[in-house]
Amino acid sequence: MKLAATVAVALHDDDELPRRLDYSVIGRLLAYTHRYAPLRNKLLVLVLARAIQTPLLTWLTAKVISGSIAHGDYSKVCLGVAGFLVLELFTEAVFVFRMHLALRLGEAVVHDLRNELHRHMMEMPLSFFQQTKVGRLISRMTSDVDNLRIGVQDVAFVSMIQFGTMVISALLMAYYDWMLFAVVLAMVPVLWWLIEYFRGKMILAYKRVQASFSRVTATLAESVRGIRVIQGFVRQDVNGGLFGGLIHDHSRNNMEAVKLSAVFQPLLEFNGQLFLAVLLVVGGYRALHGTISLETLIQFLFLSNLFFGPVPVLGRQYNNALTAMAGAERVFELLDMQPEWSDDPAAKDLPEIKGRVQFRHLNFEYVPGEPVLHDINFTAEPGQVTALVGHTGSGKSSIIKLVAKLYLPTSGEVLIDGHRVETISGLSLHRQIGTVPQDNFLFSGTVRENILLGRTAATDAEVAQALDALDVRDLIEELPQGLDTQVGEKGVNLSLGQRQIVCFARAMLANPKILILDEATSSVDPVTEERLQSALMKLLEGRTSFVIAHRLSTIRHAHAILVMERGRIAERGTHEELCLHGGVYADLYRQFIGGSVPGAAA
Amino acid sequence: MDVPERDAGLSNQQLSNTKLIGRLLRMSWQYRAVCLQVLGYQMVLLVLGVSGLTLSGLTVDVLRKTLQPGAPAVRWPWHLSPPASWSPFVILCVLGGAVLAMAAVRAVLNYSYAIAAGRLIHVQIVPNLRAAIFDKMQRLSFRFFDAHASGTIITRVTRDVQLLRSFVDGVLIQGAIMIVSLGLYFVYMLLKHPGLTAASLSLTPVLWGLTTWYSRWAQPAYARNAQLFDEMILTMAEGADGAQVVKVFGREKEEHQKFVDKNQAVRDQQRRIFLRSSLYSPAVHLISQSSVAVLLLYGGWLVIHGQLSLGDLIVFAGLLQQFGEQVRTMATVVNTLQQSLSGARRVFEVLDTPVEIESPVNATRPQRIQGNVRFEDVHFGFRQGAQALRGIDLDVQPGQCLAILGETGAGKSTLISLIPRFYDPSRGRISIDGVDLRRLDLEMLRRNIGVVFQQSLLFSISVADNIAFGHPEASREQIIEAAKIARAHEFITALPKGYDTILEESATNLSGGQRQRIAIARAIMLKPAILLLDDPTTAVDPDTEHEVWQAIESATSGRTTFVVANRLSTLKRADFIVVLDEGRIVEQGTHAELMRQSGLYRRTADLQAVDSVSQRLLSGGAFSGGA
Repeated sequence: MKLAATVAVALHDDDELPRRLDYSVIGRLLAYTHRYAPLRNKLLVLVLARAIQTPLLTWLTAKVISGSIAHGDYSKVCLGVAGFLVLELFTEAVFVFRMHLALRLGEAVVHDLRNELHRHMMEMPLSFFQQTKVGRLISRMTSDVDNLRIGVQDVAFVSMIQFGTMVISALLMAYYDWMLFAVVLAMVPVLWWLIEYFRGKMILAYKRVQASFSRVTATLAESVRGIRVIQGFVRQDVNGGLFGGLIHDHSRNNMEAVKLSAVFQPLLEFNGQLFLAVLLVVGGYRALHGTISLETLIQFLFLSNLFFGPVPVLGRQYNNALTAMAGAERVFELLDMQPEWSDDPAAKDLPEIKGRVQFRHLNFEYVPGEPVLHDINFTAEPGQVTALVGHTGSGKSSIIKLVAKLYLPTSGEVLIDGHRVETISGLSLHRQIGTVPQDNFLFSGTVRENILLGRTAATDAEVAQALDALDVRDLIEELPQGLDTQVGEKGVNLSLGQRQIVCFARAMLANPKILILDEATSSVDPVTEERLQSALMKLLEGRTSFVIAHRLSTIRHAHAILVMERGRIAERGTHEELCLHGGVYADLYRQFIGGSVPGAAA
Repeated sequence: MDVPERDAGLSNQQLSNTKLIGRLLRMSWQYRAVCLQVLGYQMVLLVLGVSGLTLSGLTVDVLRKTLQPGAPAVRWPWHLSPPASWSPFVILCVLGGAVLAMAAVRAVLNYSYAIAAGRLIHVQIVPNLRAAIFDKMQRLSFRFFDAHASGTIITRVTRDVQLLRSFVDGVLIQGAIMIVSLGLYFVYMLLKHPGLTAASLSLTPVLWGLTTWYSRWAQPAYARNAQLFDEMILTMAEGADGAQVVKVFGREKEEHQKFVDKNQAVRDQQRRIFLRSSLYSPAVHLISQSSVAVLLLYGGWLVIHGQLSLGDLIVFAGLLQQFGEQVRTMATVVNTLQQSLSGARRVFEVLDTPVEIESPVNATRPQRIQGNVRFEDVHFGFRQGAQALRGIDLDVQPGQCLAILGETGAGKSTLISLIPRFYDPSRGRISIDGVDLRRLDLEMLRRNIGVVFQQSLLFSISVADNIAFGHPEASREQIIEAAKIARAHEFITALPKGYDTILEESATNLSGGQRQRIAIARAIMLKPAILLLDDPTTAVDPDTEHEVWQAIESATSGRTTFVVANRLSTLKRADFIVVLDEGRIVEQGTHAELMRQSGLYRRTADLQAVDSVSQRLLSGGAFSGGA
């Protein structure tokens, strides 16, 4: 197994719109509709039908008014209306299916993409999650995928319908009168330019509005979270002034956008009216001279509306297409990101282990050229507790991550019962390892669900057994709904001690041979602390354990202490040995107990 | 703290809809001038729109009269018939010119309307409301923030304000426009031909019923949709946050399956909505087109029998379309009303929450605060019945250090948060230098107290500005001096831009110990007589904890200090210690005194005591120098 050549680069969060359409992205996006080819093809047929129906209906209306009614033929009026109703009913039926199929296609593609994104994320190694902000991933799943959905379900189909409508009404007009149609056609570039000119400006203006709004919300969020500090330090007036400035700025940007649209919309409408006036005068002149009939003029009044209607819609769709493409590009970028490493295809499943862990001449770096561990050698025998001690950044957590094969060594070996981690599959190793993370991470859901994460198939009796083994059943039962208490966003907030108990139970239930534990740094109250200590000791019993230790009793309990300093093992031994040695450990230990030794007696 | 998040919050008394609308109307009254101006523009625009349609109709009639000799005479409105000398083409040109002239006027009016409406919303209503809520929010007591999650407070200033203002533009103005235009169209059509009006509007109630039904159905359906979607995203976000747990327990497959299920639930819900929502628009179209069919049948008959001009028929067709559009906005207005009411309720809730803690009218402002803090039979409860503190008596002399020990929830943080009046006691009194806190000037009181919280929030401004947070006009020398006392100067100067380094959100570019030392410098900057330290090393790595304690030691000298702590080493340094249990003082005295009792203190101490073996090993070991 080798490190993949491509190093995961941070996802860029540039929300600049691309300048033009990129057909390779579009092609790739379209490929997602292949699974739904029958659906998509039906949709295409319906779209063609829609493109014809709308001009036909308008033409029929104008025909009835300008022909049958103007000429006083009521039986033809009735016939025309009957035809109109039949066509209308058919049109709307097609419309229902057109919308329904498009929505279904869009949702189907988006659904598949989300699953693919998630699967891909789950395959990424831990380093990916440490380099990527969760917010970034969320926006891939939400706004980017949603923009892309519009691209799939709307852009192509709506544009086709609108374009078709334009072409057919143009054909009809050209059929009725070439000259008048030329007048109509002359308006198109004016309209197109008007729309393009303002669209560009408005996009910029709305970006500014968004940016100033983000500043408002960011400041607001900080003020709410920091309210205790603000009140404690009597900063209300200063902050109020700052916030006022931001609101004012946002309001000014909003007005800029309003002004643009206040010019644009009336201009658009004026343009339409200008056209109407020209049509009335020119068309009227031609009608008066008998060049065209009154019927033709009325047809033009109706059809020209139909011809211009799609122009702004098409402009909007072009914009949607760009937005969808930008979304698709970002989604594909994430999907294309290669994991830094993955299991060797030849990796075997790890048989049941005893739990012997060895590091041999191990060197490790997260970023090439910046080593964090140098020539690490140690052996942890089955059932032994190894405590890792040292300053922040000394390499303690890198060691436990290497034991769990969350990263691979840069050089040297990590051996589990004599197997090099590179030769065994991550999953089979993980099935025999348990963890208690420092932040005592719990998923939202019930306490029971969180404990079951250790072994999904466990029965209630086994959960109870695990709790009994830790002697913490009473602590869980004390919770409002016991094991069924909801934690996280929708539930109560468990105290630090309670969270830790749940994490212990989770690890206990998994019953792993190897346990890695990053002790929480926050101290809890003494009574809870006592219970935690005894539960911890029971959890460690008989397991090869690696503990980033912050509690004295844990360190004392360890069979071996590795004192880490700048990526090297500075000292090793038992607590007694290291105290006697009087080196780094003794100093650390003295600081830790607050310099109370020697001197004050306890 | 387990404060259940309930949106109803403190003011249990819910505003009734009628009262709420009354209040919104009163608020809108302030903006009556602009509202009327906006409405005025719309009225003129409406009349111009109808006139424009009439002109097109007239053109058709003029042409028809000229081209078809049998056609009925043109009926000019208001007897404005052109002079007989004008040729049909001149009339046409005049009509075309009139269309254009009106269009120009319309354009100007539309512009003015958009600007006036924009100003009303973006310059007046929204900024005023936001500033008012923000100002109020900053002054509310901590109870408010205990009872509401920060997310819901933020949406009150952002989204709810927008919802509230939609009462003015979306309900009042739109509603007025709708009523007036429906009336105008109706009267106009009625004047032209009552029978045709009745016939072509016969389907309107159906349209109205359909739109109302749909909007009632759609809202909860989409809400359900949003809820399922949020659950799916939450699952994903947790999987990413807890990636280490997922990986070490080898739960990637299960985690993915969880996501797939939630994703499927979203898709299923979407498909349920799709069918109905794709029926809606076509149904609306069908109804309006059926009206056109009725119009053509009956109107065509009228035209043929000379009871209506062809131009009028075209005008009718145009008006019918506009009428249908206005009917559809009715459903929107009703929806907006509901949403604006829910937004307004949440905005007013903040504005109405009483500022519990304020400076008294004739506040005492002593020259100097010595720092003698006395608690006399102090009781306090966050909620009725649940007492957090019961009968606390304390007398801390200037310069003394008091340590507080107790289990989680024993009332330690609560006790110290009463001193800067973050809360007021429900019974008893607290005094500083013999003056009741409630008689002191609040600003002066807080400026004389430095607080260091458990997890000190730093702001995303420069390090220097963070230190000078409570004293913005401080000079750089003063800031550096404070940083030196807090043992922060060295690491600050090592930062990329020293004191001018802008901190990241939540100051993630600093270690926990560094953050706390900046927080200590921030507290010292006030030169406070009293210093409150609420378990300041909870969130600090143990190996940097001693740095924080060194900072604290130099900061506390000469100040009355209250420190919440669990660590024996801190407790020992205090002049005296109180042990809290369920809001009561159960033990108090010096370290030595408390060690002689066999209470909670002794148990804590024993738990942390350095065992005699290590003690002997360390002191006897071959190491040089002290700690």
